[in-house]
Amino acid sequence: MTTDADGILRQITEIVARELAVPAESLAADTDLRAIEGADSVRLLRVVAKVEQTWDIELDDEDVFTVSSVAELAGVVREALQVKAA
Amino acid sequence: MTAPELPWAVLADYRCFGCSPHNPHGLALEFAEHPEGLQTTFDLGRSYESYPGVVHGGLLGVVCDETMGNLIVVRTGLVAFTVSMRTRYLAPVATGRSYTCVARLGAGSAGGAGGAGGAAGSPLISATAEIIDADGVGVVSASATYRNVPFGTARERIALTNPEADRLHQALSPTPAPLPTPALSTAPAPSSTPDGPVPVEETL
Repeated sequence: MTTDADGILRQITEIVARELAVPAESLAADTDLRAIEGADSVRLLRVVAKVEQTWDIELDDEDVFTVSSVAELAGVVREALQVKAA
Repeated sequence: MTAPELPWAVLADYRCFGCSPHNPHGLALEFAEHPEGLQTTFDLGRSYESYPGVVHGGLLGVVCDETMGNLIVVRTGLVAFTVSMRTRYLAPVATGRSYTCVARLGAGSAGGAGGAGGAAGSPLISATAEIIDADGVGVVSASATYRNVPFGTARERIALTNPEADRLHQALSPTPAPLPTPALSTAPAPSSTPDGPVPVEETL
């Protein structure tokens, strides 16, 4: 588990790739999560669950259903880690 | 995997909705050790559904709560009350199919009562649970915080006769997590205490 910005982005990319069964190389920071082939609401929720387990955080449902890219998800994780550390 | 000895088993008539074999309306969950915690496999029929063919989400909360709570009880030897629980539903859970719930102690589990689940000296212990289908795909995840209480405190809040309370007190003892590989040392485990459960500072 990494907590620096680059590490979070990289690890989330790996989680998305694994859960959606796509090559990590095909994903960029601004890739639209819902536009990835094979992505649906259930699979994206599994991405969120894996992210929450990985960093032991709880993301707000509002964020979960509004983030659209890997970078945005990474940003939400960073914010949650800051709240947790406060 | 072996089944841990739940302390409630010494109560001949306990009716826990989640784990008692004596409650005809309950889930009668049975637990087994898991390499990372505790697990239970269940198959809920249509008596437990919300939409046709879909298990009621509240009951999945019961399954997660039971698995996490009993994990904490068997590891610490202390009664644990649920303080808060948060459940994330990932996909519908079908009636009449087999699923497994796995509970794990929360991160930062170096301190706390029984050496598991929370900050040193705190009666609060965290745990996580996930329910997976027969293919190992997650369908529910949950996280919760529990409060361990000394037996004397628990005794005031649980309806028990004096003989039942004595039996339960004796049955409550911490059970270390099973080792992932056979132990190389023959030294005795240091976790048990001769005088019963580890005391926890009372905060209420």
